Amino acid sequence: MFSLPVWVAVLALVYLDFPIRVGTAAICAHGQECHAPSLADLFDRVIQQSSRVHGISSELHSDYEQYFFPSKNHIGKRKCHTYSILTPADKENAQRLGREELTEVILRLLGAWGDPLSQLHRSMTQDQNQDFNHYSSNKALEMSDMVHELRSGVTKVAEKMKLLGVISNALGYMSSPESLAPSSVSSSYERGDFNSIDHHDLLYCFRRDSNKVKNYLRILKCTTLPELDC
Amino acid sequence: MRRAVGSVPLLLMLFFIGHAKETRYSPPGKPKLTSCRSPEKETFTCWWEPGSDGGLPTTYALYYRKENSDAVYECPDYHTAGENSCFFNKNDTSIWVNYNITVVATNALGSNFSDPVDVDVVYIVQPHTPENVTVTVMEDKDGPFLRVSWEPPRKADTRSGWITLIYELRVKLEGEEEWEEHRAGQQKMFNIFSLRSGGMYLVQVRCKPDHGFWSEWSSTTYIKVPDYFPRETSVWILIAVFSAFIFFILTWILNLKSNSVKHCLLPPVPGPKIKGFDKQLLKNGRSEEVFSALVVPGFPPTTSSDCEDLLVEYLEVYTPEEQELILEEGKDLQEGCLKSKGSPSDSDSGRGSCDSHTLLMEKCGEGEGKEEKHQERAQKGKRQQKHQTGWEEGDVSHTREDVLSPDMSEGRVKTWPSVFSPLPQYSSRPLDHQGSLETARQLCLSDSLFPPPSTSSHLSYNAKEGLALGSGQQEFYLGKKQTHPSNPQSQPRWHLQAHSDFNISSMDRKQAASGLQLPGFRSTEYVEVQRVNQEDMVILQPLFSSSCQRDGHLQIGQGEDYSKVKGVDSGNMLLLQREVEVKREEEDGDRYSCDIQDRVTESCYTTSTAASSQVTGKPTSCAGTAMPVQEEMVLAANGYVDQNITSVH
Repeated sequence: MFSLPVWVAVLALVYLDFPIRVGTAAICAHGQECHAPSLADLFDRVIQQSSRVHGISSELHSDYEQYFFPSKNHIGKRKCHTYSILTPADKENAQRLGREELTEVILRLLGAWGDPLSQLHRSMTQDQNQDFNHYSSNKALEMSDMVHELRSGVTKVAEKMKLLGVISNALGYMSSPESLAPSSVSSSYERGDFNSIDHHDLLYCFRRDSNKVKNYLRILKCTTLPELDC
Repeated sequence: MRRAVGSVPLLLMLFFIGHAKETRYSPPGKPKLTSCRSPEKETFTCWWEPGSDGGLPTTYALYYRKENSDAVYECPDYHTAGENSCFFNKNDTSIWVNYNITVVATNALGSNFSDPVDVDVVYIVQPHTPENVTVTVMEDKDGPFLRVSWEPPRKADTRSGWITLIYELRVKLEGEEEWEEHRAGQQKMFNIFSLRSGGMYLVQVRCKPDHGFWSEWSSTTYIKVPDYFPRETSVWILIAVFSAFIFFILTWILNLKSNSVKHCLLPPVPGPKIKGFDKQLLKNGRSEEVFSALVVPGFPPTTSSDCEDLLVEYLEVYTPEEQELILEEGKDLQEGCLKSKGSPSDSDSGRGSCDSHTLLMEKCGEGEGKEEKHQERAQKGKRQQKHQTGWEEGDVSHTREDVLSPDMSEGRVKTWPSVFSPLPQYSSRPLDHQGSLETARQLCLSDSLFPPPSTSSHLSYNAKEGLALGSGQQEFYLGKKQTHPSNPQSQPRWHLQAHSDFNISSMDRKQAASGLQLPGFRSTEYVEVQRVNQEDMVILQPLFSSSCQRDGHLQIGQGEDYSKVKGVDSGNMLLLQREVEVKREEEDGDRYSCDIQDRVTESCYTTSTAASSQVTGKPTSCAGTAMPVQEEMVLAANGYVDQNITSVH
C-alpha cells in the first residue's frame, strides 16, 4: 500500500536508528584517544551523584515538614519498606561486611527505591495542593531519575571492580537487580492512594536510605582505593 | 508503749506534712532535653535541663526506645559526659535508627516526664575542632603567602570514609574586626595570598560533616608576615611614570607641530576660485558687462607663454604627407603645442566639440565614429594643452577606414571658437575646458542647426541652456534656438552631461561670447590644406560635407581656396586667410588665441572636459577660423569653423 520510496525511507530510518539505540555515547569523541574512566573517577562520580540525591531528598523532606506537621506519634510508627534489607548500622558492621556485600546492599537499596519514587512523583503531581506540589513534584522527578542513574553507575563500578579483581564474582544480587522490597509495603504504594502523610513518610525513609547509600559508597571507595581523599 | 510507738509515724507524718506545707515540696518540674550530639558518628550524648526540683532531691533518668522496637532502655552512662547528660557508647549507638528519648525527673513526691525527642544519630554529628593547625609563611614569585594546614579531629574517622568532613578557615589581621573566611572543602591545606607586609595574622579552622553541625573554631594561630616590597606596586609605579613621560613628550611635540597637525587633520578648505557671475551686473541685464567682468586680462598670455597653459584652438587639418611635414615645420614655434602625431591615444587630443561622441553618432553615423574615438581620447587630464589635434586628427582620421566621409574627416578644419577664455588658473580648471568645449560645440552645432531642426534635435544636447553665452552670441545660436530656447541672458548653466561631455565654464562662455559674433555662421566647412605656397601660406580648400545630413548646410563653394595661411603672428597664431571675403573680426586677440578670421592658432585649446570621461567630443579645437560660408563670418573668437560639423554628423 505504500510506495517504494516510503518503504525505503522507513527502512533507512530504522537502520539508522539502530546505532542510536544500541550504543551509548563515548566519553571521548572526535578521534581522541579514548580512555575508559578509572575506578577512582567512577567512584567520584557515583559519590557525587549520591550526594546530590541525598541533598534533594533532604530538601523535600524539610519542605514537607514545614507544610505538614505530622503528629509526633506518627513518627514512631513509621515503617520504611526497605526495612527488610539488612544494612550495617555502624562502622564496624559496615567494615566487617566486605566489599561485595556492601556493593550488593547498595544496589538493593537503590533498586528498592526506583518504583516508589516514580509513584511519589505521580502522586505529587496529582495532588490538590498545587502550589506546593508543583515545585516538589519536579524535585521528586529529578530525584527519581537520579536514582536510576545512580543505580546504573554503581553497577558499572561493581563491574569495574570485578574487572580489576577487587571483588569476586560472587555477587548474586547483580543478576537479579529488581527490588526485593516486601510485597506488602510495596503494594501499599501501588495502591496509588497516597496522601500527604504518605509522602512525608516516604521522604523520610528515602532521605535516610540515600544517606546510607552515600556512606556505603564512601566506605567502599576508601577501602578499595585508600590513597584518595580519605 | 505500743500506743506510743504507733503514734510516732503519725507524728512523723504530721511533722513532715507540716514541713511540707511550709517548704512547699512538689514533684519535680519537667525536665527538658536540650541537645544530643555525636562527635564522630559512633557515639552520642544527650543533655537535658532539669526543671524545678520541687525542693526535694530529684533524680533523673533517661529512657530511650529504638525504632520499630518496644523495648525501653535506660541510659547506660550518666557520668561520662557530665551532669545531666547521658552518654551512649559505640555498642549502644546505632546509626540510621530513630531513638525516642525521654528524661524522667523523680523526686519523693513524684516524677515528671520530659517531652520525647526523636534522634537519628546521623543528623546530629558535630565534630571536634581540627587539630594541629599550622601556619607558615612561604615565598613565591609574587610575594609571600601563608600556608595553613591542619588535621581532622582525632576521633573522626575520615580514613575509612565513615565520615566526611569539610573545612573552613578564617583569617584576620591583628587589630581588625572582620574575619576573612575561606572554604577549603575536604582539603587539609590552604594558601592565603595578598598579605600585608609586616602584618600579624590570626588564623582559625573548623570543620563539619557534609550533613551536620559546624565544629568550634580551633584555637587561634598567630603568624607574622615579614616585610617585603610588593612587586606589583613597583611595576605599576614604573608604568605610571613611563606613561606620564610619554604623555608629556607627546604634548610637547604636538605643541611644536600644532600647525602642521592642524593642517593634516583639518585641511584648509580651498576657497572658491571661480569668480562666477557678478550678480549685480546680471541684474543690470547687460550681458556684455557680465561677461566682460569675467575676463581676466592677461590671459591667454600671448607672448612666449607656455603652450600648455593656453587653450588650444583646435585646428584639424589633413595634409598629405609632405604638407603635413611642412606644416609641422612651420610650427616650430608651436612645437610644444603640437601634439605628437602619433598619439592618437592622447586623452587630451583635442577634438572639436563637434566631434563629440554623441554628436557624431547621432549626426553622421559612421564617419563620426572615428571622431568619437578621437575625442574620447582627448583631454583627459590635459586641459590646457594645445594639441595639434587638428593635425593629429587629420592624421588619425587619415588612417581610418571610414568610407563615408574620409575626406571630411581628413580635411576637416575645425576651428574651435575661442570660447575658452583662458583664465588665470585655467590650467587647474577642468571646468573651463569643458565650458569651452561646450561652447565650441554649441557653436559648432549652431551651424548645423540651420538645416532642419531635426539635426539639432538629434544632438540631444542638453547643455544648451547652459550655454548662455550672452547676447553677443545670440546670433550664434540662431540655429539653435529651437533647441536652445535659453536666453543668453540667462544664467549660464553648467552642464556636465553624459553625452555632451563637457561643461563650459560660464566664464569661458562669457568670454567667448563677448567676442563672439557669429551672426551668419551657419555652417562649417571642411577645409583641406591644399598646399603651402611659397609665402608660407597654407592654402586651404574646402571640402564637401556631403555626408552630413544637414542639407541646408551651406558650404563654401568648392574648389575655392578656402583660406591661405597668411602668416604666423607673434602670438604663434597661424593666420589663415580666406579668399572669400573675410571679415576679420577679432575679438580679443589677447584673449583668444584664435581670431575669428580664419586664424588658426596652434595653441589649441583643449576644452577638455576632464571631468567627464565620456567626453567624446574633445574640444580640442582651436577656435578655428575656418570660416563657414558666411562672409561676414566673423566667427568670433568662439567661432567654430567646422564645415562639416562633425558633431552634427
